[in-house]
Amino acid sequence: MPAKFDFNDSSVVVIVGSGAGGGTLANELAKKGISVVVLEAGKRMELTEFKNDEIGMFGAFTWFDPRTSSGSWYVAKSSPDLPAWTCKLVGGTTVHWGACALRFQEHEFKTRTRYGAIPGANLLDWPIDLNELAPYYDRAELRMGVTGTHGIPRLPASNHGKVLFAGAKKIGYTQYMTTNMAINSVPRDGRASCQQTGFCVQGCTFGAKWSTLYIDVPQAEATGKAEVRAESQVLRIEHDAAGKVTGVVYADRAGNLQRQKARIVAVAGNSIESPRLLLNSASTQFPQGLANSSGQVGRNYMRHVTSTVFGVFDKPVHMYRGTAQSGIVMDEARLDTNRGFVGGYNLELLPQGLPSFATNLLPGEWGRDRASVIDNYVNLAGVWIIGEDLARETNRITLHPERKDKYGMPIPNVHSDDHPNDLAMQNHGFQQADALYKSIGAKRTVHHLPFPSTHNMGTNRMSEKPQDGVVNRFGQSHDVKNLFVSDGSQFTSSGGENPTLTIVALALRQSEYIADQMSKGAI
Amino acid sequence: MRHMLLRELVSKFSRRGFLRGSAATVAAVAVSGTTLLASAAETAGLSAEDSRALLKFTRDLFPHDRLHDSFYAKAIAPLQDEAAKDAATRKLLAGGIAQLNASTMASAGKPFADVPDESVRVAAIKQIEGGAFFDKVYNSTMTPLYNQPELWPKFGYEGPSSAQGGYINRGFSDIDWL
Repeated sequence: MPAKFDFNDSSVVVIVGSGAGGGTLANELAKKGISVVVLEAGKRMELTEFKNDEIGMFGAFTWFDPRTSSGSWYVAKSSPDLPAWTCKLVGGTTVHWGACALRFQEHEFKTRTRYGAIPGANLLDWPIDLNELAPYYDRAELRMGVTGTHGIPRLPASNHGKVLFAGAKKIGYTQYMTTNMAINSVPRDGRASCQQTGFCVQGCTFGAKWSTLYIDVPQAEATGKAEVRAESQVLRIEHDAAGKVTGVVYADRAGNLQRQKARIVAVAGNSIESPRLLLNSASTQFPQGLANSSGQVGRNYMRHVTSTVFGVFDKPVHMYRGTAQSGIVMDEARLDTNRGFVGGYNLELLPQGLPSFATNLLPGEWGRDRASVIDNYVNLAGVWIIGEDLARETNRITLHPERKDKYGMPIPNVHSDDHPNDLAMQNHGFQQADALYKSIGAKRTVHHLPFPSTHNMGTNRMSEKPQDGVVNRFGQSHDVKNLFVSDGSQFTSSGGENPTLTIVALALRQSEYIADQMSKGAI
Repeated sequence: MRHMLLRELVSKFSRRGFLRGSAATVAAVAVSGTTLLASAAETAGLSAEDSRALLKFTRDLFPHDRLHDSFYAKAIAPLQDEAAKDAATRKLLAGGIAQLNASTMASAGKPFADVPDESVRVAAIKQIEGGAFFDKVYNSTMTPLYNQPELWPKFGYEGPSSAQGGYINRGFSDIDWL
């Protein structure tokens, strides 16, 4: 039974957001007997409402609240009003995620040490390392049922994957496989196995894909210790004279303002909304925004070096059939500065159905050449370059000076300038993906610059020293001891891997710390 | 170039009702069958000639020889509906079409839709590329064109799969040419 807590119950932990970070944290704390109120800005959908409808589900899931963007990155030109493609519903972006569940590599936790001082970047080592996170990666993989780990079989290769692997082999790569996926390859944990529908991103109709919407959120509610309030957008975090947070003010589904008191507040609204909320919680005591004595809240926004290459073949591939993103080449993920850049990248399958493909292809272009690519739809294979981008202080989320949302909260602006390292990596990825597809007979390749960001990281980063970042090794604010950050905005570096597994591992670790600190009366 | 389609989707979804509206439009146009062009034109407040030009223009933006004009008629239907309700849209469309016509009259002596040579029409479109009329048509017709389930088989796309049990037994791994 879901719990029901009073607005004035100041014993609860308030969690803002119900995605990978917030949903996991809520489940873990509730299972430890800690009272939790989850405030989720989006609505609650049921798995039975998912449809194999690309355009329709894009409309149903996406966070469309107004945002602006700026900077030299392509997305600020191609999609200025929708700089990020994240979700607004219970379960957050775990509803549409592709389910690639990869660990960060050892060197990616220590970028400042391993990469050195890169001009124009604001690199910093994480205060934790891979060894410290490894047990939590183990637990995250087990609870999410990640294929290729802990004896869980890998998914079978699709046509699309086989094309990728054949090209990889041909050009001498060796690290290619169906990806570690948080998608059941066999029935597990009371959920079905993957039926190869191809509609992972539209919400898995079989529930084979891990999502907090239908796994962690109901489990948390079943403990009787968690209440999830959907359509509740937090506008401000409040604090007392001692500088401890006391609760949050939010707009409920009727648009009425409510104040929920809290013993602890954990922010997990993703790397755009979380810093927005902290910045909007500025007070006379914290004039730069909450948890922002370092001035780093909102800064170091990272969104991966991403681009897509489609190979056009003269025989059918049917890229839309099968687990969407299950196929990866990891050879370029290594650290090897001989390639002309620091960090590394993965090549991951990126199929699209015809409606998505045809409408996203080469924005602004028209005519015979563009149409001829669509005419070859069944003969296409697509691969996504996803690599590490570098923290920069000036890549940041700020509050818009004039524009406000319907509750009067300033909308966020997302600013990003490509670092030369990002562009060098992107070009390398284009060359390699071209070579890969051409080696097995692609007639041509089509390069696609970044889509709106699905990976959003940094902006409330972890640091050893309070002056370098926003939170400590447990995601706890350096400034405010009962305030936590529980999403990808904690990331000190972006790695070259999809962020979700790391977000879940951090949330698992954080839940132990919170429970421990509560039991000791420290917070 | 701007990702105009996404901008349009953001704007439409944030106004809500986009899906309902466009689905209803497509359905309504579909039942009118062979009179579809004429009836759509009437409701648009655009002349039949202008509707014909709009269709031709949309076809030139997204030219697929395998597609019958009826697919393009459905693609422009939501825009025609909007024009019927909104004078500013009507004016924008009529003005843009007049420009296309003027351009091809000068180059080929015929209104845009009557010019048989695609390269002549393409040259006329290039003169207005990136303008408000071009953007409006590009943004408003692309999704209604490619999101027609009847169109998908023409490109070999099989559409929804869950009801058939996914592709696990239907060829997700049947590639034979590698």
